[in-house]
Amino acid sequence: MNYVAAQAPAPAVAATPVESRGINDWLMRMHEASRKRSYIGTFVVSSGGAMSSAKIWHVCEGDQQMERVETLTGAPRSIFRHNDQVVTFMPDHKVVRSEKRESLGMFPQLLQSTDNRISDYYKVRQEGTDRVAGVEADIVVLVPKDQMRFGYRVWTEQKKGLVVKLQTLDTDGKVLEQAAFSELQLDAPVKMDKLLHMMGKVDGYRVEKPVLVKTTASAEGWMLKAPVAGFKPMSCYKRPVVAASQAGPAAGEEPLQWIFSDGLASVSIFVEPFDRQRHDKESSLSMGATQTITRQLDAYWVTIMGEVPMTTLKLFANGLERKK
Amino acid sequence: MKPSMQTSELLSALADGQLGGEDFAAALHACGQDDSAITSWDTYHLIGDALRSPASPALPADMAFLARLNQRLAAEPLVGTGLGSRGKSPEPVAGVVHIPIVDASSRHGAAANDGDFRWKLVAGLASLAAVSAIAWNAAGLLAPAAAPQLAQAPASQQVVVASPQGPMVRDARLEELLAAHKQLGGTSALQEPSGFLRNATFETPRNAGR
Repeated sequence: MNYVAAQAPAPAVAATPVESRGINDWLMRMHEASRKRSYIGTFVVSSGGAMSSAKIWHVCEGDQQMERVETLTGAPRSIFRHNDQVVTFMPDHKVVRSEKRESLGMFPQLLQSTDNRISDYYKVRQEGTDRVAGVEADIVVLVPKDQMRFGYRVWTEQKKGLVVKLQTLDTDGKVLEQAAFSELQLDAPVKMDKLLHMMGKVDGYRVEKPVLVKTTASAEGWMLKAPVAGFKPMSCYKRPVVAASQAGPAAGEEPLQWIFSDGLASVSIFVEPFDRQRHDKESSLSMGATQTITRQLDAYWVTIMGEVPMTTLKLFANGLERKK
Repeated sequence: MKPSMQTSELLSALADGQLGGEDFAAALHACGQDDSAITSWDTYHLIGDALRSPASPALPADMAFLARLNQRLAAEPLVGTGLGSRGKSPEPVAGVVHIPIVDASSRHGAAANDGDFRWKLVAGLASLAAVSAIAWNAAGLLAPAAAPQLAQAPASQQVVVASPQGPMVRDARLEELLAAHKQLGGTSALQEPSGFLRNATFETPRNAGR
């Protein structure tokens, strides 16, 4: 089976014999596949005992990528993504949210950069093959090298590397969350101009553009006194309170989101002014792969959230400090 | 009036949280008029519980006990509950509800998020008023879009979400932070291959606004 993949006429990365692919080769291959294939499928996510699903249309034309996601469970949502531009239709509220997601453009720079750390904190292990949504897939496990992060078991389609199934595994290897295509039509005839047209049809909707102000933690007076192994600060935003009423927080107290990543897992630190009425109990909460803890820190209320073990979130919580 | 096919369909939809407007009112009306509608309501919840918890099938509730409890609760005055003070109390439904637990302000400290908080046990008793009142609370109150008015959300905002324990109440504010984390926290090599799809697919609780 291995030599079949090796012989396949495919891009350089795909041509690397399966057994000699390093973690970066695998990740790059998965990434490339998502940028080169068009498909229609049904995607199912099960997390914390709840199950969600959506119908997906994905199309690539040149270096342009477009995706349409129609949720089949929960509140009805149509989400369109054109490169890093994301538009979410909420028909039940007659509201459209339009935003730019910089994180979508960060890869593969993340992987190519000289201080790429993924391979410092994860290793790759192969676990044979399987069939998912009708396609043959290699199973690859991204195994954390320490107890500070979760592992991932990835089913990647054999020919081009499209990710067809993904499990998030806790430190004992137990599945915390699973996402997979239940049905997949590769190389489906999806027309980008048609999706673009749908994405732009906002008649009758109120268009909202979330205001995010880029800042730095340091400028906001925050620091981590001890870095958490492998996690680097990626970005930091303030969310100005729209039309702040008298009851709203004063300027400078706008809630802050400070984002960290180790290349695979992300952690968000939210800081907002402490409010005795609402913030009455420090707690920790686990929802599938996403863990959350809340803490009071002097006059602030801190919520830390991420797809990492609770102990890692606690390191963030203990390390967070108001700059003197 | 025997429950028509339509009534039981209405109640099924109500139990699934899919009713609004006139249908919602009609379902409430049916419950007030008709004991067998209440029986259907309980049955649909039992079915829902059983479907949601394959590991621990719901034990059949003691209907006689529930009936007695409902009677006692119905006799309780509504003084000082969140419903009254909100001036938005649902239509009184004879023999079904009026349960003080809908006072969200007294409960927001209770560990509604805890894994062993069996919201559905409560729902079995008082589901109609409790769940609908909370749904009303949550809908429309949330801050606009992804720029949540983080510091302004009142304490009583709560959202009903699915969980292994059945529908649970979760803090609306936490939902907002979770949404923000999903939106901006996707700095992962797995984001484009599947992280984006995962987050887009991930369920928005039906009544959670955005």
